[in-house]
Amino acid sequence: MAGDRRGQMKKPYLNAVILGIISIFSYMVLFSKQEIVTSITTKGGGYAALPILAAFYFSFIHGAFASNILSLLGIEAAKKKK
Amino acid sequence: MKKGFSVLVILILSMFFVSAVFAGGAPRGNFKKGTINAVNAGGDTIVFIPAGSKEQMTIKIDTSVVHDEIVLNKEVMITLEDKEGAEVVTNITTMFIGLDLKKFLFILFVGFVGGLVSGFIGSGGAFVLTPGMMSLGVPAAVAVASNMCHKFPKAMVGAYKRFKYGQVDLKLGLIMAVSATVGVQQGIKVQEYIFNKWGDAGSNLYVSLAFVFILVTVGGYVFYDAWKTSKTGGEEKTSKLALMLQKIELPPMIHFKTANLRISLWFTIPVGFATGLMAATIAVGGFIGVPGMMYVIGAASLVASATELVIAFVMGFAGSIKWALSGLIDIRLTLLILAASLFGVQIGALGTTYVKDYMIKVVMGSIMLIVAVSRGLAIPKYLTDLGLITLEQGTVDIMTKASFIIMAIALLIGAVIILSSMIKGMKKEKGMKMVTSHGKI
Repeated sequence: MAGDRRGQMKKPYLNAVILGIISIFSYMVLFSKQEIVTSITTKGGGYAALPILAAFYFSFIHGAFASNILSLLGIEAAKKKK
Repeated sequence: MKKGFSVLVILILSMFFVSAVFAGGAPRGNFKKGTINAVNAGGDTIVFIPAGSKEQMTIKIDTSVVHDEIVLNKEVMITLEDKEGAEVVTNITTMFIGLDLKKFLFILFVGFVGGLVSGFIGSGGAFVLTPGMMSLGVPAAVAVASNMCHKFPKAMVGAYKRFKYGQVDLKLGLIMAVSATVGVQQGIKVQEYIFNKWGDAGSNLYVSLAFVFILVTVGGYVFYDAWKTSKTGGEEKTSKLALMLQKIELPPMIHFKTANLRISLWFTIPVGFATGLMAATIAVGGFIGVPGMMYVIGAASLVASATELVIAFVMGFAGSIKWALSGLIDIRLTLLILAASLFGVQIGALGTTYVKDYMIKVVMGSIMLIVAVSRGLAIPKYLTDLGLITLEQGTVDIMTKASFIIMAIALLIGAVIILSSMIKGMKKEKGMKMVTSHGKI
């Protein structure tokens, strides 16, 4: 609840911008180097860690970016559950 | 005592998790990754080099394979089938599809809607994403693997959000996840037995029959219960079965704080086991897990759907490691789905704070019943493949297409119900806020 009130007072503009830049940059790297990325991540064996780590990395960066964007748009959880 | 229990749960969980990843080896499938070097003069064989090997293999190709579509010296996936005692290539697909704008937007859209539904009811989306990606030309194994790899980060973000809203029962989720991993292994064994005995068509028929039976009975009950709750004021009541089971003092009794109930571990394990069994069979364990937590264990729909995300995370993570070890995850597809589903899952999660609890049952029941119709339409195709009935190819094609369209409609209807009830809830809260602030003035 305290977090919600803080969120209402201060919108996370800076966080959204920084995370947005990192997220877009990461996606740009992924798609501009798709041939290298797909060949390395499908080698199996020890390379299996790469797609898993990539999924974690994007979920943290892009997930936090999405959360901030939703807050900026005013899409937040209800203060009191019905 | 509490610390000891947590350590024990983590230890057991890790043990089952590791065994779930490594048991059974690579995922089942009669497919091979590699490159095609040449198509022989007569056009009835190809020279194939499996990935990670330098050895050339000459394999016969089926008459159904279109020669013009065979791409040379590019990574492909070939599907092999036993025909008259020899392995024959029945399908050749490019391992990594080219992503044009249309495909890009399609994946983003389905990813968003799937995420929205998952965030709200705890599961869903996968059943449309996998066939959806296959319709774009992605090989079946790659579609399943890439979809699985997007499931665990999405579930993690959804579970985190709903944990913040106080809806996740972590202890229940972990116990369910442990028993579900055992269920998955048994489910795979059943699948393998059926596959070995009746082949691909038999396996597909079994999956579809299980799908239809479970979705109609469980989905029908969930929908009926939601309708009954809405008629009686919208307050959820614990099921009689759960109340009866909670009264049975069979040690160890476990207190689930967020779910606000006390029940024997021995009644919790079978629900998790069934969830895993279904996850291995119909790929949507949540369709058993969430109703199981609601009607057998006695958790509220809000807690059950949120806790399902913890189970989805653990199972998705184990599954992804398995697929990654086989080198079948197209990370571009995984991350593209995530780009939209991470928005969807968070909107779905916060949507639960605006609606009446029984709306989770309404969405889940509706999706399950519509998907049942979709899977029902797929059955005649498998019966034809097994030679049990005769149907014209044109009719089979129409039914297969209709099956996919109805499945997509199920997901869309779920999304529309979620968004409309959420917007209604948001407007109501805004109205209440305005009344309060005017009252203060």
